[in-house]
Amino acid sequence: MTQPAIPSDLDLLRLVMAGDEDAFTQLYRRRQAGVYRFALQMSGSESLAEDVTQEVFIVLIREAVRYDPNRGSVAAYLYGIARNHVLRRLEQDRPFVRLAESDDETDANASSGTIAGDNPLEELTRNEMIDALRNSILALPAHYREVVVLCDLHEMSYIDAAKVVGCAVGTVRSRLHRARALLIEKMRAGRDRGQAADEVKRLRCFA
Amino acid sequence: MNCQELENIARDVAQDELMDVALREAALSHADSCAYCAMRLRDERALTHGLRRLALAAKSAEAPARVETLLLAAFREQRSDVAAPVSVSALVANRRWLYVGVGIAAAIVIVVLIALIASRPNREPAPPQEAKDQAPPSPAPEPQPERRPLAGLPPDRGRQPIRRANSSARSGHRVVDNGQSGRDIEIATDFFPLMNRESLAEMDSGQVVRVELPRSALMSFGLPMNMERADERIKADVVVGNDGLARAIRFVR
Repeated sequence: MTQPAIPSDLDLLRLVMAGDEDAFTQLYRRRQAGVYRFALQMSGSESLAEDVTQEVFIVLIREAVRYDPNRGSVAAYLYGIARNHVLRRLEQDRPFVRLAESDDETDANASSGTIAGDNPLEELTRNEMIDALRNSILALPAHYREVVVLCDLHEMSYIDAAKVVGCAVGTVRSRLHRARALLIEKMRAGRDRGQAADEVKRLRCFA
Repeated sequence: MNCQELENIARDVAQDELMDVALREAALSHADSCAYCAMRLRDERALTHGLRRLALAAKSAEAPARVETLLLAAFREQRSDVAAPVSVSALVANRRWLYVGVGIAAAIVIVVLIALIASRPNREPAPPQEAKDQAPPSPAPEPQPERRPLAGLPPDRGRQPIRRANSSARSGHRVVDNGQSGRDIEIATDFFPLMNRESLAEMDSGQVVRVELPRSALMSFGLPMNMERADERIKADVVVGNDGLARAIRFVR
């Protein structure tokens, strides 16, 4: 007994172009979660992530012929569309969405909800630190944020991430290196602030 | 290993990615002996752990079901609107083939144009070959293009193709027969190069164009001119290469 072969994304896409609704449904269910999570992690907004997911697959329905297999996988193609839509929406919504611009703000965001301790970086497993890390990622510049989301959260290879972002692999590596360094700095700042706050509380307690 | 080298691979070490065992051990060994790198590696591990937890926390996140409903409706609408175009579009799904097709079409057009251009002179009747070099001062054989009759042609035959003009211009005159009657016999000088010899030798083909010039042009090439007829014009044949540049000239009387 041989099990039926699972169609590849490319097979499904060809069927979609031929008007096969089942193929579209299958492709959507296979890829929507990744696209949605990418948009959510890039924006921090569920409504925006929902809109972007819808727009990505609308583009797929209408302009699937623009996909070139030589330029990357179907998943990378979808992520690329999602990236463009997310960045466009973030640019449009900039006046209306509160984004941490200054270091103080980002540090405050990063430290909000942190638990003071000797080494908060080791306490990232706690949910509060997860929130802090999420906020820190959202506070990163977009070109750093996207490589962290793609490579670290979606475990995408440097090559695929480079295709999504549309830059060289070396650029992805260097951006990721810098982005992680920024995240560590924020975590350290949160730790120092937490320690200071702890000292103040202790002094007040003695007083 | 030094601190900079560890910095470059800190993420890979922290993520326990597949890497050279020796490199990994060197990094860990360096971290054991360097407090800064030990802290750096610890931070990277903590960050990696946190990112994995974050990714795991979002693992279940997905688009609401209404998105799928909306998209399926859009898909059906699109299919009903443009069913035929979609199937046609599938044929050109790979844009590479579109580019190849356009390239082939362009190549065909170019080849056809070249063939048309090349065939134009061939449609003209071959000029008579009985022109003979009768001028005493030029005993050496002349190149083929210069032996062709150039004067007295009908207006539509004023431009004639020539092949490589590989002879150097010499002084002297030749009698050129136009093939009609002895009354129309013309006397022509040899060709005077208008460019350097290398450019003349590089010319694969070209055309001879009959023009009229002021007689003063004779003096430009060191030829004697009757000053009493200075206001008259003189016929000349100009060799024009396919690049449009004039290569040589001869005067016809």
